[in-house]
Amino acid sequence: MKTREMRFSGAGGQGLQLCAKIFSKAMTGAGYHVSMSQSYEPTSRGGLSRADIVASGETPDYPLATELDTLLILDQAAATASEGIIRDDAMVIVDPRRTKNPPEGNFKVIELPLSETAIRVGSERVTNVVATGVIAELSEDIEVKTIENVLRAISPKKFLDMNMDALQAGVALARGVKAA
Amino acid sequence: MNSMTGQANTVNLQGNKACALGAVAAGCRFFAGYPITPSSEIAENLAKELPAVGGVFLQMEDEIASMAATLGASMGGIKAMTATSGPGFSLKQENLGYGMGAEIPCVVVNVMRGGPSTGLPTRPAQGDIMQTRWGTHGDHPVIVLAPGSVEEIYQQTARAFALSEKLRTPVIVLFDESLGHLVETVALPDVADYEKTVRKWATGKPEDYKPYHGDADGVPPMARPGDGFRVHTSGLTVAENGFPTQKPHEVDALMKRLLGKVALNNDLIESFEAVECKDAEVVIVALGVVGRAARKAVKELREAGIKAGLFRPVTLWPFPTESFRKQTAKARHIIVAEMNAGQLIHEIAEVKTGKQKVTGLNRYDGVPISPVDIKKTVKEVLGHE
Repeated sequence: MKTREMRFSGAGGQGLQLCAKIFSKAMTGAGYHVSMSQSYEPTSRGGLSRADIVASGETPDYPLATELDTLLILDQAAATASEGIIRDDAMVIVDPRRTKNPPEGNFKVIELPLSETAIRVGSERVTNVVATGVIAELSEDIEVKTIENVLRAISPKKFLDMNMDALQAGVALARGVKAA
Repeated sequence: MNSMTGQANTVNLQGNKACALGAVAAGCRFFAGYPITPSSEIAENLAKELPAVGGVFLQMEDEIASMAATLGASMGGIKAMTATSGPGFSLKQENLGYGMGAEIPCVVVNVMRGGPSTGLPTRPAQGDIMQTRWGTHGDHPVIVLAPGSVEEIYQQTARAFALSEKLRTPVIVLFDESLGHLVETVALPDVADYEKTVRKWATGKPEDYKPYHGDADGVPPMARPGDGFRVHTSGLTVAENGFPTQKPHEVDALMKRLLGKVALNNDLIESFEAVECKDAEVVIVALGVVGRAARKAVKELREAGIKAGLFRPVTLWPFPTESFRKQTAKARHIIVAEMNAGQLIHEIAEVKTGKQKVTGLNRYDGVPISPVDIKKTVKEVLGHE
């Protein structure tokens, strides 16, 4: 089982902790041992917020991220926060609408209209769910169906349809990346 | 099979929640606290868990009252706990000392954040290592357990209750924000033995009872309220009969017993993890999450042919001195990695017996010391010989 190190980052209030929670539930369901950590600022909204997953076949020696293979950046506040710990073969998924200066390096930066897609689906608030669909589709070892089941289980009833639409819109964006 | 994780007996658990569940599993039935980041989830979870098992949860007006209520509940006969972080831990110090002096079992959890003062509420630090040892005034017995994973938080919180009950003294559980908020996939260990450990209750004729006369293990049996024993509890220094004394021989005897009961029971208290220390040229001393970073660093350094080892105190105080000496006997270097400006390093420099060179690796910028930081320091230390 390949060790995965994923980071969901942006500004406080963008649902990044929830992203990590969805992936960690799905991945433990698939047999991973997951360590999920977080960092946020002592303000209720805004400021840098991130949630990390380190997952492997057994409890990792060090539970915090040191070599990211997947990085999501939803806001400029998080653009430089992961410097030095992004693998060369990592995929860095960026929402350019809110991230004017994405990080530069040997890794692949994939710019996708995540928040615009969310607005089209119904609300900018589901940008995190669009991103979840993208990452699930681009991750070989994570089934979109498993993510969908977790999301269905934790969604409040009135947001269920919008969340499902946002997830599928994310999957469609990722398929576009794959086809390109 | 657990429905959430799909694995046998495993669960995804947050460190602070593990602390709350470990407490309940050990028989804790009282919590008094005041919310403070990054420990608040301990209170939040106990507010749900305790009433469900017939226990009591109290949100107090402040940290001082929380400590006082915890001591009072314990004197009433039940296992009691409070939890806090830096500023709150500072406020608790006077009453914590009362608990140590009057020999009242309880568990105090301190989830460390950056300091001084309000500092960095949402960032980790290990700046309270010496405060847990010397925070309250006067000479006093101290037991501090420093878990390094979510599973260990559950286990060591439960163990803290057992040690506290057995030795009639407050026990501090110390970890940091990164572990408190960390979620890990864990299999919860069996803590039934800790749950069964309860304090010695006074028996025999009430008229013969001396509330502060220690048994052979240095611990006096406690009078259970309602059992008919006469008790007087005070913060003043007391004679064996429980009343204040200033007679030098009585004061001396009390202090010797109070400090001695921890030393006398060290075999019970001591716990540590040693990795590859046997032939290690460099031993890294680290606790909590830094111990995890060091474990990864040691593995990678060994793969690169560098003889590194790890000594991780799980019982921080009293420091496992003799075991540390044995594990570092062959080392030429000791690196003390800690998220503060240099605290544990003073203890290491004092207790080491060989000619090992001691080097500090310190971070106090709200960022945990990483395996990379440790490997770099090990290489620097060896390269500079």
